[in-house]
Amino acid sequence: MKLESAVVISNTKVYENTYVTWFHAPELASGVSPGQFLMMHCSNDRRDPYFARAFSYHRIDGERFAILYAVVGRGTAFLASLTGGDIVQAYGPLGKGFRLPGERGNLLLLAGGVGVAPMVDTAERAVAAGHAVVAMMGARSAAGLLPAGHWPADVEYITVTEDGSSGLAGRVTEALGEYQPWASRIYACGPNAMFRSLAEVLRHNGRHQRPEILMEENMPCGWGMCYGCAVFTRRGVRLCCKDGPRFNLFDVFP
Amino acid sequence: MQPNLQVDLAPGRKRDLVLKNPVMPASGTFSWGFDFAARFDIEALGAVVSKGITRFPRQGNQQPRVAETPMGMLNSIGLQSVGLDAVIDDLAPQWSRWGVPVIANVAADTVAEFGEMARALDGLPGIAALELNISCPNVDAGGIEIGQDPVASGRATEAAVRNTDLPVIVKLTPNVTDPVALARACEDAGASAICAINTVLGLAIDTKRRRPVLPRARGGLSGPAIKPIALRMVYDVARAVNVPVIGCGGIESGEDAIEFLMAGATAVQVGTATFANPRALLDVIEGIEAWLVREDVADVHEIIGCAQPQPV
Repeated sequence: MKLESAVVISNTKVYENTYVTWFHAPELASGVSPGQFLMMHCSNDRRDPYFARAFSYHRIDGERFAILYAVVGRGTAFLASLTGGDIVQAYGPLGKGFRLPGERGNLLLLAGGVGVAPMVDTAERAVAAGHAVVAMMGARSAAGLLPAGHWPADVEYITVTEDGSSGLAGRVTEALGEYQPWASRIYACGPNAMFRSLAEVLRHNGRHQRPEILMEENMPCGWGMCYGCAVFTRRGVRLCCKDGPRFNLFDVFP
Repeated sequence: MQPNLQVDLAPGRKRDLVLKNPVMPASGTFSWGFDFAARFDIEALGAVVSKGITRFPRQGNQQPRVAETPMGMLNSIGLQSVGLDAVIDDLAPQWSRWGVPVIANVAADTVAEFGEMARALDGLPGIAALELNISCPNVDAGGIEIGQDPVASGRATEAAVRNTDLPVIVKLTPNVTDPVALARACEDAGASAICAINTVLGLAIDTKRRRPVLPRARGGLSGPAIKPIALRMVYDVARAVNVPVIGCGGIESGEDAIEFLMAGATAVQVGTATFANPRALLDVIEGIEAWLVREDVADVHEIIGCAQPQPV
């Protein structure tokens, strides 16, 4: 964990109410594993809001990193208003990220809504390591999907919408189809409802795929001090920020 | 000249409690110390204060456990704890290797259990003092219903003091009309020091669900929002007792800490600020030192209680 001032390079609306902000911050961008996160203050003076917010690393490029977020409150509205040269305080990287396999495999990445944020960095690293990658993203409608150009070229990108306005119709967990048996490993990030139905689907024929999930809880501190972000698992109570945010799917949703 | 920052929180007791500077974390905002030690110099702190130690391991409360509020937060963690045996077997041996005193925060369910736990921790290498948690608002037993009653608070203090040579600090709740009566009862029962304050009872409502945010409804308010309440209690308690007072509540800078020292605190605890700024404890230590240098104060004792009507 390093504390650093992150300098805004660019800020772009990528779809609906969702933004990608790039920062220059050599310390925050180094030694990050996919699925890790950082805590970013969403105010100029760290007064209001008082606590930093947790954001997944969306992409990393040398001394620069990007976060992807939906504007849902004061903090994210502040971030969306930043322009080049603005400075925010942050600390990271934090938590435990995905464990990508050592040998070449077929990786299925599942994203529900803004849960797509960590999946692009994960896909970039997986492709670089020689894995075959299919990424599925689910949203209510086409307007809520990350445009295909944001994924590495070698990733097969499948979209799933509840209203059928783009790609497959339904939810990600209903649209797994042929991709589920194809996968040697499965990684997911999205709402708990998605994890619950993923566990239903994979309970009988997906245990060997050792599905890993990135969870989200309220995290005032992000580094294991406040105990606010408890996750109740089969192995006992864990802290999302420190023991996670990566958990084995079946430990949390048995 | 570097100003003297060293303080003793148990002068004249069987065991002293000398801190190289008057700054320590607040219990429950620092876990068991290891996360900090892995990233910062833990020996820069005046002392370490453990998370609340319960007799048996506790899972803590269900989600949601926290709610952010203006300049602070409500928590209802519910004393998630590894339990006494794990502290004795696993944690204290590691603490004993740190060049900083570790104060064990003891959260018992009953007066008798405070005595049993004090005896179990007495003489254990790695533990320099006990802090009795009679003021947790987020559990059903042992916390606040002892801590809101001067008689019960005195009995819990006495039970602990009788069973250990370690200095016993008692941490008070602000959720009473007369904190001075509590402080006096604890002092009379043998407390080496008084810590004020634990969290302030509060409530947040989720308007969408039309229910309180926290499952137990009430939570403990902490952060800069409660600093004036804490300062007032320290000011009142420090004048009423002869033992050292540890100030706690909303401290996030050297300037904040100086205010508490002037109100009569001999040391301070930094809690919620650590969540917003991982370096908060170090910032407070450096801030106190910088203030003393700037004001040409050679010894921190020169300002302790200086804002009292008559210096304490």
